[in-house]
Amino acid sequence: MAKENAVTKENEMTQEGFDPKILGFFCHWCCYAAADSAGVSRYQYPPNVRVIRVMCTGRIDARFVIEAFRCGADGVFTGG
Amino acid sequence: MIVTEAARQLLEDCGVDRERLALEWASAAEAPRFVELITGYVSRIREKGPLGSGPDEIPADVVGRRLKAAVKAAGARKPRTLLGKLAKKMAKEGDYSRDAISKGVKAKVFPAMRSVRIATEVGMILEEGPADLKKLCSDTGASAEELEKILAPMLKKGQISRKKDSFSLSS
Amino acid sequence: MCTMYCPRPVVDAYNERLEITRAPHIDYAQAIPSSYYIDAKACLRVNFETCNLCAQTCTAGAIDFSQKPKNLELEVGAVVLTPGFGRVDSSVLEKFGYGKYPDVLTAFEFERLTCASGPTEGHIVRPSDNRPPRKIAFLQCIGSRDETCGNGYCSSVCCMYAIKEASVAKEHEPDLDVSIFFMDVRTQGKGFDDARKRAQEKYGINVIRARVPRVDQVDGRLALTWTTDDGKHHSGIFDMVVLSVGLESPEDAEALSKIADIKLNNYNFCSTRVDSPLSTSRDGVFVAGAFQGPKDIPESVTQASGVAAIASELLAEARNSQTVSITYPEENKALEEQEPRIGIFVCHCGVNIAGVVDVKAVRDYAASLPGVVLYEDPLYSCSQDALKGIAEKIRDNNLNRVVIAACSPRTHEPLFQETLRSVGLNPALVEMANIRDQCAWVHAQEPEAATEKAKDLVRMAAAKARLLTPLEQPTVDVTPGALVLGGGAAGMSAALSIADQGYSVTIVEKSRHLGGNLRRLQWTTDGQDARKVMEDMISSVESHPGIEVLTGSTVEAISGYVGNFTSTVSQGKKNRLINHGVTVIATGAREYKPRSYAYGESTRIVTQLELEEKLARGKSFLKNARNIVMIQCVGSRGDDMSHCSRLCCTQAVKNALKLKELKPDCRIYILYRDMRTYGFHEDAYREAREKGVIFLRYSTDKKPQVIKQARGIKVRAFDRLLGEEIEIPANLVVLSAGIAPGDNQELSKILKAPLTPEGFFLEAHAKLRPVEIAVDGVYLCGLAHGPKSLEESVAQAKAAAAKATIPLAKGKVAVAPIVSHVDQDACIGCGICESLCPFNAIRLSKVGKRKKAQTITASCKGCGICASHCPTIAISMGGFTDQAIMAQIHAFSGRQCDEG
Repeated sequence: MAKENAVTKENEMTQEGFDPKILGFFCHWCCYAAADSAGVSRYQYPPNVRVIRVMCTGRIDARFVIEAFRCGADGVFTGG
Repeated sequence: MIVTEAARQLLEDCGVDRERLALEWASAAEAPRFVELITGYVSRIREKGPLGSGPDEIPADVVGRRLKAAVKAAGARKPRTLLGKLAKKMAKEGDYSRDAISKGVKAKVFPAMRSVRIATEVGMILEEGPADLKKLCSDTGASAEELEKILAPMLKKGQISRKKDSFSLSS
Repeated sequence: MCTMYCPRPVVDAYNERLEITRAPHIDYAQAIPSSYYIDAKACLRVNFETCNLCAQTCTAGAIDFSQKPKNLELEVGAVVLTPGFGRVDSSVLEKFGYGKYPDVLTAFEFERLTCASGPTEGHIVRPSDNRPPRKIAFLQCIGSRDETCGNGYCSSVCCMYAIKEASVAKEHEPDLDVSIFFMDVRTQGKGFDDARKRAQEKYGINVIRARVPRVDQVDGRLALTWTTDDGKHHSGIFDMVVLSVGLESPEDAEALSKIADIKLNNYNFCSTRVDSPLSTSRDGVFVAGAFQGPKDIPESVTQASGVAAIASELLAEARNSQTVSITYPEENKALEEQEPRIGIFVCHCGVNIAGVVDVKAVRDYAASLPGVVLYEDPLYSCSQDALKGIAEKIRDNNLNRVVIAACSPRTHEPLFQETLRSVGLNPALVEMANIRDQCAWVHAQEPEAATEKAKDLVRMAAAKARLLTPLEQPTVDVTPGALVLGGGAAGMSAALSIADQGYSVTIVEKSRHLGGNLRRLQWTTDGQDARKVMEDMISSVESHPGIEVLTGSTVEAISGYVGNFTSTVSQGKKNRLINHGVTVIATGAREYKPRSYAYGESTRIVTQLELEEKLARGKSFLKNARNIVMIQCVGSRGDDMSHCSRLCCTQAVKNALKLKELKPDCRIYILYRDMRTYGFHEDAYREAREKGVIFLRYSTDKKPQVIKQARGIKVRAFDRLLGEEIEIPANLVVLSAGIAPGDNQELSKILKAPLTPEGFFLEAHAKLRPVEIAVDGVYLCGLAHGPKSLEESVAQAKAAAAKATIPLAKGKVAVAPIVSHVDQDACIGCGICESLCPFNAIRLSKVGKRKKAQTITASCKGCGICASHCPTIAISMGGFTDQAIMAQIHAFSGRQCDEG
């Protein structure tokens, strides 16, 4: 129940305030798979993250991360 | 992890809160953990506000040029070679503690990244017109002493020229 | 068209008769084969020679009423029976008001109601007034564990499906009040107990332990009365009652048994033995799935693979004698090199995506993206006819890039890649945007935000698609042998099957003997001598010319990839290298060593396996035994380990019966939390109760206590019926110690094979790929995967063997073209990539005068560490180039973002 309340609160904030743009780099085998599994389980989470799939977090180059910020990301989430 | 740390230090150097870059782990079996991580991260960024609004952050409209130079720095051969060598060394030693990574990057990779970043930025500033040392210092965030060191080889190679206090791009 | 024009309404059997369809129809969009069929019983043309409307309106001319039934004769080497399960008779349901009160539904009907593509589009409403119910009760064991209807067995799946349906309902309607009436909560499947706990905690589903005898209607609502095990009576009013009906043997089981000449058991399921669960009483005739006994999806899928292995053993000689191979048109390289012509297909996935995301808006948005020449929104893009449609559209519109905005590339990319190949496009030219798992399903309450996110993902995918390039599809030869890790029942069964299919096998066993945990078992649940079962297995293995057994050996390292593994096996002091094409993990598990209940303080406090070993030495120790107490869930279900060990309830009952047989006058107590004697094991549970074994349920807040005294042992337990604590002077305490995972950490690291939080190996997909793992070419069976019975281990071992033989039989494996590629001109030979590659897949070698890095394609997993650390950015990754990722980043921003 507590979790659901938290989500509602966040929704309210979204309406009033700042809605961050976040870029995610997800590892195909780990985080991307976990995200799929979260989908299948219908877990709910905030819709702020856009995902780029990579085969491994090892692929992530510092250039990618900085370029993402340069292009207007408020945050970059790399998930292995 | 080493790349992430390098990116974080470079971000910090550009006036971006390093905590805006997250590195987390969730295995294929850990959907609930994934959801927690994402939810937590999004709310942390929400608290931080838009890029450039943090207490130690440089405003978003200014930070653009700096980040552009930083991308160049992250792609430049010298810092990349140093980064690769550090990664190689750490793989051999097997110590991947946060502290070791942070110290290693700070000592071995960061100086090179920063100087390429500043040099690139100098070029970008001068592209808009001549500027004096003071302006270059305040625009790049470098100290005069540091900047002199970076400008010297640029002058030597004839990339830039100096007229009294004013630097400009060689045509 | 045919469905639209047919004048004959029929009830929709697929939707549990909750909806009306027409005589010609398709059950659901993803049905295979994906063609419409005519219900011959209802069709006017077939029965009365009138109408013929459908045949006239079918533009494809696909309806031909002149067809007559034909008898075919097929020559086959093996027959597999998979008729599934039958339905519980409606007379059983009528006792619970079904058919009389409209708001009493079966769980099958309820499942259709909760389904987004079902008759109510996922809205849960009462059939009586179409209004949402506020209170729902699920009644378990309808037609199961019920001798009055002839079904004495437990249907095994209903507890979990009721919890799933209840959770789905709660997700849909958070304010619903849901109660489930259990006798025992039987969630013994892998990960099921966790799911149950989550359902209780997250959704607040009420668990009531009682059997409701009947359902009455009061003022249009449904009244239930029940008695809990503390003897108290309760009653309650509900808006809807869901009957969790069991799985029965198929209606035509008897007819089938006559035709196939096989034996059925006393419940009309196919009769099989514990050591050969997939073989019927007739040679060459096999069984899989619910006809062998009630079971859930993973086990059915496992058995199906297992039975394929057995058939393949018989047919090994005939392999490849009647195969047809697919041919693809030649790649249209000229088209591929042209400017990108992108086709975007935004999938509805029924209502899975379209229920949340505005699919049409995303499709129209896609139209505005550069390079897009075609944009569509198929209902189910993965259905056979949609794939055919996509193929046609690629051809007709000369597309050379395709974006599928649908589900996960992890599951569906190969399907679309295949579609591209079928029309002469390189499979690497498709990109997916996962707007189901990352939008519709996880932002269900925020349709607008989900739609915006979907647009962004599509834009990013299109940006990447523009930069996709054709990639070579390399293949490598396969070493035709298997390495089986572990020589227990599972390892031996898998080895025998692979060897019988014609491939060499090496078994690596840590201990000095084959047999594993089976060595400690004295008798099987179907009363066979376990030692004999084991010895038969061992002698088959040892006498098999295709199997080599290495005992006292462990695997130190495994390198390579599917088709070409090289393992270092340590045999004490010497090491040996073994080349093999596939690997089977069958390393087993061990009995949990209790840390509570005074274990170790007395020789009269033993585990179930220790009891069996004692019994094997003779029954003298029972001479003075008057009271024997068994305690369940020792170590399991949150006691120390979080999982349910699945076997212990059956094992306890089996051993209690044995003790009763040896010493009829002794009193046996079994202290349990839920008796999980699923399937036909329920018979033994009932027998034990009939023979006077006393079952006392305990809850975790009132766990039993074992007290070692100077003279004997005392067990203190709470008797729920009396409502007070009782003390039992015990001559013997038997702890049902659970199954603890083996030391899997090391092997997990060597194989890069993920483990579950409990420490068992994690399968690639819980339901659809139960014996594969995330690493290609490595398969999983037996206790290493999780607690299971001998019967289940053997079936799973056969399944692993079936999967393992696929690459062996193919002789070649395709390597995913995501590998690294070194630009030799830019490479400076610094060697950083070589030293960082976790797979030894990139090496320096002399090219001309200088050293240059080179990829070993077959070893490369495409992780990209080399690329991100290359000083000169000389390494690019197939399908994940710098340019493509940068394009995605730029597209992410949504605004003009000049090249950095």
